[in-house]
Amino acid sequence: MATPAAKQYKTLGEEIWKGRAEKTNAELFALTYGALVVQLIQDYEDYEEVNKQLEKMGYNIGTRLIEDFLARSNLGRCADFREVGEVVAKVGFKSFLNISPTVTHGGQPPAASPTRASTPQPAAPGSSFTLTFDENPLAEFVELPEEALEGGLWFSNIYCGVIRGALEMVQMQVQATFISDVLRGDESTEIRVTLSKYLEEEVPVGDD
Amino acid sequence: MSHHLYILSPSDTPLYELTHFSSKPVQATTSPLSANLPNWSTSAFAGTLTALSGASSAIQSHNTQSGPVRIGGGKDPHVIQMIANASLDVIEEVMRKENAMYLKSVDKFNEWTVSAFVTPGNMKFILLHESRNDDGIKSFFVDVWELYVKTMLNPFHTAHTPIRSAVFDSRVRASAKKYL
Repeated sequence: MATPAAKQYKTLGEEIWKGRAEKTNAELFALTYGALVVQLIQDYEDYEEVNKQLEKMGYNIGTRLIEDFLARSNLGRCADFREVGEVVAKVGFKSFLNISPTVTHGGQPPAASPTRASTPQPAAPGSSFTLTFDENPLAEFVELPEEALEGGLWFSNIYCGVIRGALEMVQMQVQATFISDVLRGDESTEIRVTLSKYLEEEVPVGDD
Repeated sequence: MSHHLYILSPSDTPLYELTHFSSKPVQATTSPLSANLPNWSTSAFAGTLTALSGASSAIQSHNTQSGPVRIGGGKDPHVIQMIANASLDVIEEVMRKENAMYLKSVDKFNEWTVSAFVTPGNMKFILLHESRNDDGIKSFFVDVWELYVKTMLNPFHTAHTPIRSAVFDSRVRASAKKYL
């Protein structure tokens, strides 16, 4: 879908990437992340727990990353959840990792309720988009051993956390999970992001 | 005609070994002694005898090479390993003198030649082969070196432990087929 907005996001993403003064070496990045995951596995010895920890770490990163993103991209609020997906894929991932996952929108929200809330929602909770990665800089040299495959490790689970953390800071509560991973032998690497609900703007405590 | 590859860590621990049967044509090596030994010559005593008489290759049924089927003898993995181990001393000697990575053929045992390749990280690749094939062997070594580096970069691989990756194995085999 080469809508003008889509092209715009693509060029914006590229510009931000090019405009970054400090980039880090991809191999160093991949090796560091790999060492991190292996250390987590040794510490926790339970792959589910490692997945959770990676997600938590990603969440912490995401809450901070969004500030950098908004400062550089100068983008306003997204009109609907569809647009959120486009922006995350084309501008977000592009500007930080120089990769462009493809977005597929999907997921009709189940049983749309007839009564709407007074404030019109840009998308009903339950809508989702799927990001398909054709390259993953974190998993450059990785081969998962048998136990990791059986234990259900999602090697790049940090991405899910980052997406969740970043979107929560802009008032969207989402669930991001891996659906498939080439490291596990699947056809492609995919993350599904589902909207749980919109968060109300909260007035900071202590303000009068 | 077969080749035996051994990958050794700096402390001489074997990390990987491969036996490759080449389909390329080679002059038939004759070794009358081992040809006469009967089937039971795989016993220990006879094993030594055949080793001394010239560890000649026994031809497996699936080998494309035509010729008389010889039984027993140097296909003995023990003999092969002994040859490889014995060559380590020679390799270290040559290493001290030369700075190159590819040490051509460092040792010869009957009809087995040992070629070695030493990586900057002091990993030794040893190849036992029967025929001369310097260029092919050098390309093969360089290829194995690249595959080895990629394996080392895998965070799940601990340095200096045996390499069990199936991907590495299949790629080394493919490379052997290509160059040897």
